[in-house]
Amino acid sequence: MAERRTIEVGALARVEGQGALHLTLEGDRVVELRLEIYEPPRFFEGFLRGRAARELPDLMARICGICPVAYQMSAVHAVESIFDVTIDPAVRQLRRLFTCGEWIESHLLHMFFLAAPDYLGLDDGIAVAKLHPVQVERALRLRKLGHRILALLGGRPVNPVGACIGGFARAPTRSEMASLESELVHAAGEAEACLRWIASLPIPSRPQEIELVSLRHPHEYPMNEGRLVSTRGLDVAVSEFDSAFVESQVPHSTALHCRRRDGGAYLVGPLARLALNAEHLTPAASAALETLRPRLPSFDPAASVLARGIEVLYACEEALRIARSYEPPAAPAASWTPCAGVGHGATEAPRGLLYVRVETDAAGDVVAIRIVPPTAQNQARIEDDLRLLAPRVLALSHDEARRSCESAIRDYDPCISCSTHFLTLEIERRIRSED
Amino acid sequence: MRALVIGIGSSHGDDAVGLLVAQRLASEPLPEGVTVVERDRPGLSLLDDLESTPAVVIVDALRSGAAPGSVLRIPPAALARERLTSSHTLRVAETLMLAVALGRPLPALRIVAIEIVAMEGETLSPEVAAAVEPACAAARAALEELLPRA
Repeated sequence: MAERRTIEVGALARVEGQGALHLTLEGDRVVELRLEIYEPPRFFEGFLRGRAARELPDLMARICGICPVAYQMSAVHAVESIFDVTIDPAVRQLRRLFTCGEWIESHLLHMFFLAAPDYLGLDDGIAVAKLHPVQVERALRLRKLGHRILALLGGRPVNPVGACIGGFARAPTRSEMASLESELVHAAGEAEACLRWIASLPIPSRPQEIELVSLRHPHEYPMNEGRLVSTRGLDVAVSEFDSAFVESQVPHSTALHCRRRDGGAYLVGPLARLALNAEHLTPAASAALETLRPRLPSFDPAASVLARGIEVLYACEEALRIARSYEPPAAPAASWTPCAGVGHGATEAPRGLLYVRVETDAAGDVVAIRIVPPTAQNQARIEDDLRLLAPRVLALSHDEARRSCESAIRDYDPCISCSTHFLTLEIERRIRSED
Repeated sequence: MRALVIGIGSSHGDDAVGLLVAQRLASEPLPEGVTVVERDRPGLSLLDDLESTPAVVIVDALRSGAAPGSVLRIPPAALARERLTSSHTLRVAETLMLAVALGRPLPALRIVAIEIVAMEGETLSPEVAAAVEPACAAARAALEELLPRA
């Protein structure tokens, strides 16, 4: 009789939020696989009903402590499409700068503190810091710059309050931007060094058949605008999200699973953005990509960490470009008049496409809102990935098998909590074997 | 700046206590050169605060099994050793360990912790609300120790 083996990872370490993995194998066959998300459901979509649209940016930012900008900006764009707000080009540039800050901060955290320990066989980022202090200090310096951008535009780096419908509560002064510019001058060089070091680590390889999905914009690397495209030919407007994707409830998770209408899982995030938008990279990011071929662009989730490194470099170059060409807008925010309607917004959060649909009444109050975060979209894909990986972990010890599965999940940089940040007090990892 | 008081917390129930202690302290006269800041789940950016000043008092919520509302002084070394658990202690402990791992000089440090009850709701539990004043006093005492006498 084939050996039956169960691998349980009781609480996933080094991912944001509370999740667990349950995997049962019989021989090399996967009998059961569940990525369990047991974070309490947060009901944001429920309690945002009835709130004024102008309150959405601040409230949406509270969904996630790591990617607040993406949440608020998806809602802002959805509302602006209803109210037909015309955005000052300078404000549009500031919004890109805002996203640059979020990408830099979030990606570096993942690369050095969540992923690097896996490649080095270490327990955590502290162990990495002990062995590679110069590399970690560099990443921390660069991360601080991302923080600085978020504080400049958001008013504060955590739970930013700077963004509003129409623009920002206040626009940076010329001298504030000049000061940021002087700090950004060497950022690209630091980002290149970060990427080089990460790329020198023994990153595993798991190429597979995946549909990659991201925004695509005709002229720039996507952040806040574009069409929904995929590596299998999808090309629709953001407002047609529901024609391409469908959300459903699964019993073992408090996050909805999102799939393509044909039932297939798909991947959003840096790997997808890069595969679908490489021609819009900045010069140094583009050159760095050349050195990483054929690992990137690719259909290998394990190479996502390299895509993050490319995007950090891109964000540093893009932020410098924006800071250099900055002319303060005539007004920090465009004026608007509320009206009834339905609007759609999609942004590229660090971990992938984030779609929001908003419906307002004539007073501009929210009648209904739907929020589709990147991790909900990647959840089915993560399970598919683990199904493919499972037979390969059979020969490994329990501890190695757990590490291998956890590492694969971390490649997606899942942000499971996506709204509360009560961190697990004790990290428990458990593996049990049964006959 | 001679010393920094960092109130750490979140808006989740009793977890706000570190922030409230910081607000209270900031509203009162303090020794010269003392700055008070509130930090909502600072994570790695706590490192920036630690490198900005020679002396730091951290005020944070704690769950250690002590009586609710207890105000405890925790030796920084014990934070790592005992793995005291709170919503932030792991983060704070990890951040301190990270600073040490990187070979960064740590400021003189005192930690004032308040034993909490509930991480839900918009207000503090009565026991924890009653601990705000004693926690302020403990933070002031910690500042006294840290600041060189004039």
